[in-house]
This record gives sequence, C-alpha cells and structure tokens, in this order.
Amino acid sequence: MAERVRVVIVDDHSIFRSGLKADLDDTIEVVGEAHDVESAVAVVTDASPDVVLLDVHLPGVAVPAATSGGAEVIRRAAASVPSTRFLALSVSDKAEDVVGVIRAGARGYITKGSSGADVTRAVHAVADGDAVFSPKLAGFVLDAFGAPVGETASASDELDRLSAREQEVMRLIARGYAYKEVAAELFISTKTVETHVSAVLRKLQLSSRHELTAWANARRLL
Amino acid sequence: MESRAEQVTDAAASEPVDSAASAPAGSAASAPRLTRPRACVATGVAAGLAAHLGWPVWIVRSAFVVTSLASGAGLLLYLWLWVFTPWAPGEERPTRRAPVAWLLVVASGVSLVVAWATSGRVVEGRDGLEWWLLAVFAGVGLAVSAGAWATFIDRPDPDRGPRQELAIRIVATALLAITALALVFGPNAYWYPVPTFVAALAAVLGIALVYVPTLIASWRDLAAERTKRIREEQRSEIAAHLHDSVLQTLALIQNRAGATSEVARIARAQERELRDWLFAGDTPADSDLGTDLRDFGAALEIDYAVTVDVVVVGESRERASGEMAAAAREAMLNAARHAGGEVSVYVESTPEAVEVFVRDRGPGFALADVPRDRLGVRESIIGRMRRAGGSGEVRPGVGGVGTEVRLRFPAAERLEGNRG
Repeated sequence: MAERVRVVIVDDHSIFRSGLKADLDDTIEVVGEAHDVESAVAVVTDASPDVVLLDVHLPGVAVPAATSGGAEVIRRAAASVPSTRFLALSVSDKAEDVVGVIRAGARGYITKGSSGADVTRAVHAVADGDAVFSPKLAGFVLDAFGAPVGETASASDELDRLSAREQEVMRLIARGYAYKEVAAELFISTKTVETHVSAVLRKLQLSSRHELTAWANARRLL
Repeated sequence: MESRAEQVTDAAASEPVDSAASAPAGSAASAPRLTRPRACVATGVAAGLAAHLGWPVWIVRSAFVVTSLASGAGLLLYLWLWVFTPWAPGEERPTRRAPVAWLLVVASGVSLVVAWATSGRVVEGRDGLEWWLLAVFAGVGLAVSAGAWATFIDRPDPDRGPRQELAIRIVATALLAITALALVFGPNAYWYPVPTFVAALAAVLGIALVYVPTLIASWRDLAAERTKRIREEQRSEIAAHLHDSVLQTLALIQNRAGATSEVARIARAQERELRDWLFAGDTPADSDLGTDLRDFGAALEIDYAVTVDVVVVGESRERASGEMAAAAREAMLNAARHAGGEVSVYVESTPEAVEVFVRDRGPGFALADVPRDRLGVRESIIGRMRRAGGSGEVRPGVGGVGTEVRLRFPAAERLEGNRG
C-alpha cells in the first residue's frame, strides 16, 4: 500500500469510533468522524474520503421509517462523492440488517465484532474496488437467488440468478474460505474470484428478484 | 398429617364446612384438603366436600337440598363454597358433565309456566298474588343466570362453546319474550295492572340482562387484545433500545478483548442470547438441523476458546435428531476441542441432498495418523454417516491450513436414515 486510505467513520457511539480508530493500522488515515445521518452527509461530502465505514443503525432526523440510517447516508451523499466507497458496519450479522444498506450502494459489510486487522483488510479491499462478503451474506445470497433449488443463470447478464461459477464461489465463502483459498480451491486467480464476488454484489444491488424485494419489503428495508 | 392440615391455606373455606355441616371438630385434621375435582358434575363443590369430609357424595348433595329448604341456607353455603374453594391442583381444563346452562333454562321455563298456570287461578283471591310474581322473578333470574353460565363458564369448554351459548341465549330470550307478552295480554293485566306491569318489565329487563354477559365477554376480549398490543409495542421498543446500546457494547467488548479470550466468549454468548430474545419469532421454534447446529455452536463457544459461525442455506427438512446432526455435532466438537479459533459450519439443503461442512483453521490432522483405538472421527463421523446411508469425509483444509469435514446425505435415503 503505497498511499494511505482515507477513511471516515460514521457511528453514533463515540466509544466505538475511538475504539475502531485505535484498532486500524497505519495504512489507514481517519480523516473524519460523524455520529448521525446529517453530520455524516456533511463530513463525507466535505472530506470526500476513499472509504466510509458506516454503521447500519444510525440516528437521524427525517430518515424515512422504511429505511435504515446507514442506507439513508449513502442515498444522500453518494451522488456528490462518486469516488467514495461505503463499507457497512453492523452490530448484527443478520442479513436483513445488511441487505438494505447493500442495496443502497454499500460495497460490503463487516460485523462490529471483527478485529481491527479484519476491518483494515476489508477497508483496503473496498478501496480497491472489491466487494466484502461475509459467510452469512454469502449464505443469504445463495438462498435469495434460489441456488439450493437448482436455479442457475443461463446468460451472463441475467440479474435474477447466479451463474454456476458464482454459486461455487459463494458456497466456498459461506464455508468460511478466504478469497485466496477460494481461488486455490477452484484453480482460478484471486482476481477472478474478486470479479465474481463483485458481479454477485451487483446482482444483489440491482436484482428485482421476487424473493429479495418481497423479503425486504416485509421488513420495510427498501 | 397434622402439619398438612395446618397448611390448608383456604381456612375461610374449610371453617364453615365444619360448622355448617356439623362435622366432628377433629375430622378436618386428617381430612384431605378441600378442593374441587377438575372433572365434576356442575361445580365440584359437593364432590369436593364429600371427599373432604369422608362422606358419600349423595349425603352431601341431599344435605344441601334439605338445608336449602330452610330459607335457602344450604344454597348460600353452596355458593359460598363455590366461590372460595380452589380447583384441585392440575393442568387440565375443568370439565362438567351436567349441561348446567340447559338445566337453568329448563328450570326457568318451568317456573315461568308455573307462574302462568297459577296466575289464572289466583285471580279470585289476593293470596296467591305474590307467589306467581315470585315465580316470574325466579324464572327471569334463572334465564339470566343460564346466559351468564353459558358465556362465562361453558364458552371455553370445547364440548360446548359459542354455539351452545347462542342457542341458550335464543331460547332464554324467547322464553322471556313470550312471558312478557303473555303477561301484558293476559287477564292479570286487567285485574292487577301494577304487579303485572312490574313482572312484564322484569321479563323485558331479563332479556337485556341475558345479553349483558356477551358484552362483558367481548369487552374483556378487547381489553386483553389491547394489553397484548401494548406489550408487543413495548417489547419492540425495548428491543430497539437494547439493539442500539447493549448489543453495541457487547460487540465492542468482543472487539477489544480479542476473538478467543474468555471475556470475548462470554460477551459473544451473551450477545447471542440477547439476540435470540430480541428477535424471537424470526427463527422457527422447532428444531431443524440448522437451528440445532447453531445452538450447539453457541454452546461450544462457552466451553471452548472458539467462535463458531453457522451458515444455513436452503429449506432444511433434516431433523435435529437424525444421524446427520449427530455426526455434524461430533465434527464441530472435534474442531472446537482440537483446533479452536474460528470454526465455519455450512449447511446446505438441496432437493438432492443435505450437506454439512465443518471447517477449522487448527493444526489439522490426517486420518491415517489417528491411532486405531481412537474412535471419535472414524466411528462417530464417517462410520455413522456410512451406516445411515450417507457419506463422510475428513480432509485437510485448503492450503494445508486446518481441517474440513464434509458430510453428505442424499435425499433418497434420507427418510430411512432419519429413522435410525
């Protein structure tokens, strides 16, 4: 890492922000902090960081009841800082906490229980344009796209299903494999794994698949 | 036994029994506690009292009837005992053999008919007047209590329920309406206008009273509904608050304490418990394979320096009691015991098969190196799966890190295997 990654931390608990700041290593420079939706939008547009570490559950004025504070920040700030990438931080690893913020545009998510090293790694991955998938999210994606019942995309541009290769990658991630290990297992390069994961993330964000939207609607996430 | 009698908490109930039924003063000391049996005729008072006194039931019943003739003393005692005697301890809902509501309706009908029949005869003299009036009032009272009984006592009884309640109410209403009309248009209305008017009014009021219990019942339902809703709202408020405060703190503790430290494990277990409570209802309550392995993982985290991540994909039809679950638990236990650190469990149910992967990042081991007398892996994982009709495999993790156990159970044999 030649240059340091500029990061803004958004979380309503100051103790968590300072803890996280202390945990991140030297390759990451924290250029701003925010504690609610409004201040987050202001700080992010002002600092234009590489990565925003964004709490999913964030207080804020005028946040629609159907969305989370984190998703709202992305929606309001993303247009003015196109080069900034968002990494969601969630206290829970429940998919429903996270899918809303992913569909709003986050490039991945990590749980707050992750170690500083994990967060650092995830920040770099997101800064490089990769997606960050946890085993839980991979499991959810497999479920939501009907992989267990044998639904497979026939065309590469199909948004509502996963290709066979994408399913393989997701399965291995759900089994706890790191990208490098997935690559070794499938005899492909790490870069290819990252491409597949990014493709899945894009599908997760853009798909109008019934299960995804119905499920998200039921929990009023979108 | 002496001390047991002293434990009788319902002193108010047992005291008058002794005096009123004029039982020997000492008999209560050795008598069973005064309770009403749950399978009873009408209220269980007579049977309970008979058991308490050690008398035959019919004597108690006739004693009630006889003393009732003495200006209703027995009836009062009966009601008193009914109110204050508890049900016999037990879980089942009390059942009543006698159709009390119908009996009350019949009694009401009888007394109204008696009133009707006597009223004609006493036209001549004034002596009988209050007797037929009394009979009308008794009839009205009985009809009203039939309605109340049907609503408050018989309704929860599955054998009777709301259908009978409706029938009772219709019959009682009809009885009272006919009585009112007969009174108004009968000869007494001419001879004794005021008492007849009072009696007819009582009958009409009776019709209204027959319906009061339904109003009370639905008002009660409404109140219960509202209480439930308020409780639910409060709960989700508490859940939201805990989510924003305690869960964050627990996450922070885990983060700062290092993934495998004692403190982090306790915090993680606590977080899991709290989360289960907060989001109860999100996960199915019955134990399928995924839920079971998740619970088992949570238990392992408390006992070993390990974090277990369980991911479940697909609709799980596998039961937690199956051989598959037993083998998977064994594999998880092995990983927790020998490898520690992070353990990933992946459960996938497809129409063809159920698969479980348990992966750890410990020192790893080769099956061939395991001594023959160590049965853990060979017998309880691989052998068990093979006997049940599936397959099991233990292999080193990718890049030589850790171990991965793979279990597979084809759908065709699943039914058979589960039975074992």
